[in-house]
Amino acid sequence: MKSTKIYEGSHLWIMFGRDENKPDNIIDSNQYMVRTKSHCLLLDPGGAEMFAAMMAAVLHYAPVEQITDLFASHQDPDVISSLGLWDQALTNAKLYAPAIWEGYLRHFGCESIKYMPIPDKGGTIKLDSVELQLIPAHYLHSSGNFHVYDPQAKILMSGDIGAALDAAGSPMFVDNFDAHTEKMRYFHQRWMPSNQAKNDWIGRVRKLDINILAPQHGRMFRGDDVKRFLDWFENLQVGIVV
Amino acid sequence: MNNTQTKNQFIAVATITSELSAVVVIAKEISLAAANAKAIAFRAGDKAKGFQPITDFIGDLAKETIERVAAINELAIVLYKVTVNEFRVAVSYNKFDEVTKISRSAMYADSMQKPLDKTKIIMQDYNRQFKRDVTLLLGQLEAVMHHAQTARVIATYSRIEASQAGEYLQSLQAVAESVDKAAYTIHENVQSCIMALAPFSK
Repeated sequence: MKSTKIYEGSHLWIMFGRDENKPDNIIDSNQYMVRTKSHCLLLDPGGAEMFAAMMAAVLHYAPVEQITDLFASHQDPDVISSLGLWDQALTNAKLYAPAIWEGYLRHFGCESIKYMPIPDKGGTIKLDSVELQLIPAHYLHSSGNFHVYDPQAKILMSGDIGAALDAAGSPMFVDNFDAHTEKMRYFHQRWMPSNQAKNDWIGRVRKLDINILAPQHGRMFRGDDVKRFLDWFENLQVGIVV
Repeated sequence: MNNTQTKNQFIAVATITSELSAVVVIAKEISLAAANAKAIAFRAGDKAKGFQPITDFIGDLAKETIERVAAINELAIVLYKVTVNEFRVAVSYNKFDEVTKISRSAMYADSMQKPLDKTKIIMQDYNRQFKRDVTLLLGQLEAVMHHAQTARVIATYSRIEASQAGEYLQSLQAVAESVDKAAYTIHENVQSCIMALAPFSK
């Protein structure tokens, strides 16, 4: 699994993905880590199939005992079906995940990890001196869905928004926005059910100062491509099947 | 714990649950046959005097078998839970082992040793618990099998007693036959359970 530092300041942001040993028939996913002095948060840590590769990659940056926090943007298996394995590996860890999915996510196994239910309006995660904001993204695509915004690093981890169905081994960042839209169009139109929810999210996110938009699949957006993405998404009709 | 072992444990637990539910149905049939025989013996009066205490005994035996099977079923549920837990921990152990193999060059690779050792101990504990519960269960199953053997012996006595019951001979012999047949089936079913579990008691 490849890892890329996407922010290095008072703390670190690392993106993990493009695992060459991943089985072909499971979707590639991006996992993220926020590393502070004594804590380590894994964002959408991935499916059970990816656990070994992900944990091995994480061990380059933090020891197991400092993986103290997990975040699941929603309940999908590619996001958090590895929960039962983290549950066996970690001691004194917390999982921040939508409150409405608690009873569902516990099916993956969550006995030693403390479930921290995120209320619909959002919340915060504190890691040493770093405070991350949990931004509501309900119905995009899951009915209980959150993104993570870091005002210091100016990174928005945007879950399935901005995701693309891209070729294996594709670059980490979008380099040609117009060409990239074709890799995102179907995904957003088919997976996102609500134009109303989409517009509500865009309104909220436009107020944030974002350098990097970091989705769970495909390439990340940086600089002007973040605004380009928001404009493109605003004009896209979603929920096209009905 | 490898995949074959896990699969065999799940199959063994599923086998005993399935076989035992059939045993309960048959034991209820024996109980009914005993009640029926009691009524016939009452009508036959002195002609079936020797048959009366036998019917009570068969009824008690059926009741005891049903109770014992209920206790065994509870143990089987515990065994199923232990198997599920052992399977989960074994999956974790195998994944953690894979992590240690592929993360050798990582700066914090050594920190994986503690979770690996912990899951190994838990896995071994579950394995020991499984073997202990299987031994308990085998003991209970042997007792049910002993009941079935006793019922077959009683069925033989019943046939002898029935032969002296005059016009009730046929009815009472039919009861003895049905008890014998049911006891034989219980014996076979319980034997299947014992065979399914025996490899895990070693």
